[in-house]
Amino acid sequence: MTALKPRLSAMMAPARSMFAELMGEDDDEPVRIPDGLPEAVRAIALEAIDELTAYQGLSYAQLYLDRLKRFILRRTLDEALYCDIARLMVMRMCYEDPIRMAQLNLDRCAACAEVLPDDVRRLRLDEMVASLPDMVADLVLEGLEWLGWQHMPVTRRLRTASRWGRRRLKIEASLRRWRLLSVRYAKERAWVERWLHMIDRSLTRQPEAVSAIIQTATMVQGYGHAYRQGLADWHLIIDQLAKPVFDGKLKLPDLSAAITEARAAAMPDPRQVALKRAIAQIRAGAGGNAG
Amino acid sequence: MDTSHLAEHVGAAGSVFASIFVVATYTMRTMIPLRVFGMLTNVILIVTAIPSHNYLQLVLHAVLLPLNGYRLHQMLQLVRDVKKSVNSDLSMEWLKPFMTERKCAAGEVLFYKDEKAEDMFYIVSGRFQLVESGIVLPVGAIVGELGMLSPSNARTQTLECVEDGVILSVSYRQVEELYVQNPEFGFYFLRLASARLFENIEKLETRLAEHTAPAASAPAEPA
Repeated sequence: MTALKPRLSAMMAPARSMFAELMGEDDDEPVRIPDGLPEAVRAIALEAIDELTAYQGLSYAQLYLDRLKRFILRRTLDEALYCDIARLMVMRMCYEDPIRMAQLNLDRCAACAEVLPDDVRRLRLDEMVASLPDMVADLVLEGLEWLGWQHMPVTRRLRTASRWGRRRLKIEASLRRWRLLSVRYAKERAWVERWLHMIDRSLTRQPEAVSAIIQTATMVQGYGHAYRQGLADWHLIIDQLAKPVFDGKLKLPDLSAAITEARAAAMPDPRQVALKRAIAQIRAGAGGNAG
Repeated sequence: MDTSHLAEHVGAAGSVFASIFVVATYTMRTMIPLRVFGMLTNVILIVTAIPSHNYLQLVLHAVLLPLNGYRLHQMLQLVRDVKKSVNSDLSMEWLKPFMTERKCAAGEVLFYKDEKAEDMFYIVSGRFQLVESGIVLPVGAIVGELGMLSPSNARTQTLECVEDGVILSVSYRQVEELYVQNPEFGFYFLRLASARLFENIEKLETRLAEHTAPAASAPAEPA
């Protein structure tokens, strides 16, 4: 009987591996830390690996390291700025979706012996749906758009006090295995890539503005309306100031100051009136198009 | 004459025969034999359904038979097209039936430099520019076909849409599936990718020769 058990287990191994692959649980390849990372960046990266593994998995942590690796040979990037990229990138890669909210509350509950109060968050309906795999979410989002309900506010009460509340959070946190197939992930991935691309172009075209470009990542934080607002402001600043400068279409010798000025004008206003006005002034002061 | 018992025997024998074919179909590793066996099974099940008056089975397999036939035709056509492409203009047009259409607005970026490559694209209309080199890609160009075979799998440039257009895209995973499902396609695909790579090397060598020739032919300056 005892000899039969390991044999049965060995026979079941391929079936288990196939099931794990289908369920998105086959993420067990160890991460490879790139050679040549400065010591300070390496220390941040080691912490980030733990955070990203808990957030999503080992392959996600590897994606972070691969993104970080791009700057190893960039001589114009000093160590402090490299550290900022490492820190801000992990912040953005751990974006706050409903799955993350469930994960954080479960961690909070595990770390504290006392009964915790409910965590109440106000999200948008499309934000909730966007956490689902795209093959499901696309259809639902189309339906919501047709009904005009996509921006409808939704209040999420995350309960850790009751057994049912914790069970619900565990179910929501388990959706993590399909997170990389979600509509939200596709957008977050494009955002991080665009931010890194702008840093890369700044290093080539205007190295003195790199710090300002890196720090723009702090504009996009949180969830719900604040997140949407930050994201819209970020895209406006990049589209109207940074990109035209890097494309050679706008002459701004001090892009860093221009970005700081524009950021100061950004208000929690969905129409972005003050920000648009400030950007228009900066562009007018720069003498408009360069070519 | 009572033929009901005869129909019963034909039905039973047909079911046994069809079961053997169903098992054989499931044991096929690659797509072409799988489709062929699938079609044979469909024919047997249609024939056995007639004497037993099992019309539901008949209709089901009458639908599955052309479906299997169509998929088989697609696979054979794919192999023919890749083979033809290897021997003629090295184009990747044969991939078009497997690609998904996507509209792109000006300013949209399809991929960024150093990003992990996961799709290849075919430009149908509009203007698309490689940001770092400033090269504008012509309509009909395929982007990212070698990325699938490169070990680093990273994009070497950023591709931006500068004028509204349409592209077709296919993920590397889909091409890998075609490759695994059909070894003959896989073989010709590798030959095609290598041929395109050699063609690129040849172009670079010609350009290098053109670049170095004027310098070499320039008269020596008097000391």
